[in-house]
Amino acid sequence: MLLPTAKYCGSDAETVKFEVNPADARYQTTDGRTTGASPYVLNAGQVDRDRPSEPRRDANGKITALGELRTRLTGLQDDINEFLTQRMELAKGKKPKLQGNQAKQEERIENEIKELLDGGDGEDDADGL
Amino acid sequence: MGLDHSLKLQIPFENARQAAIAKEVLRPDPILKPQDFQVDYTTDQNVLRVNFQSIDERVLRVGVSSVIDSIKTIIETIDELDTPSISTGSTI
Repeated sequence: MLLPTAKYCGSDAETVKFEVNPADARYQTTDGRTTGASPYVLNAGQVDRDRPSEPRRDANGKITALGELRTRLTGLQDDINEFLTQRMELAKGKKPKLQGNQAKQEERIENEIKELLDGGDGEDDADGL
Repeated sequence: MGLDHSLKLQIPFENARQAAIAKEVLRPDPILKPQDFQVDYTTDQNVLRVNFQSIDERVLRVGVSSVIDSIKTIIETIDELDTPSISTGSTI
């Protein structure tokens, strides 16, 4: 069984090991959570043409060893990305993003887009320029 | 500020030849800001070892994810195109 691993070491000497659990669904898909088009773009109707292909299967329908490696690596990539994103938030002195904050952010972007589509350019043009 | 954030990635392939192919494919990729981010590829039999060093978490995240994307493409390409008859060869 091909199991990728990773080990992070930060400037504060903190070390974190990343390991794959093959039984966990997050390590059984090539469709990563932290890669590809964002949910916002997809919800707006965009088609993700760069979506990764499904893992390859042999003549018996079983996923090949390299296909499994690709799914496990995708899960490991998500783990690393989520961990480093959290570390980035902490480094900025902010709390990790919560669902509520994310919803507010999406609402703000949606309002800005709506305003632009309505003809506004978001600038005060009272001086006629 | 030094490159004091590191990540070591180990990826086992089916055999040493596949790991060597992956290393040789990845190695030519240029590092745009070597003062902020460095990556080193080695193999140990069938295992590809990738060592990343970075100035901070943000640069590390971008660099690591990009290299993993490339490795996934390499794995898929070997899986799709590397036939058993070719795999038995001793050279790349």
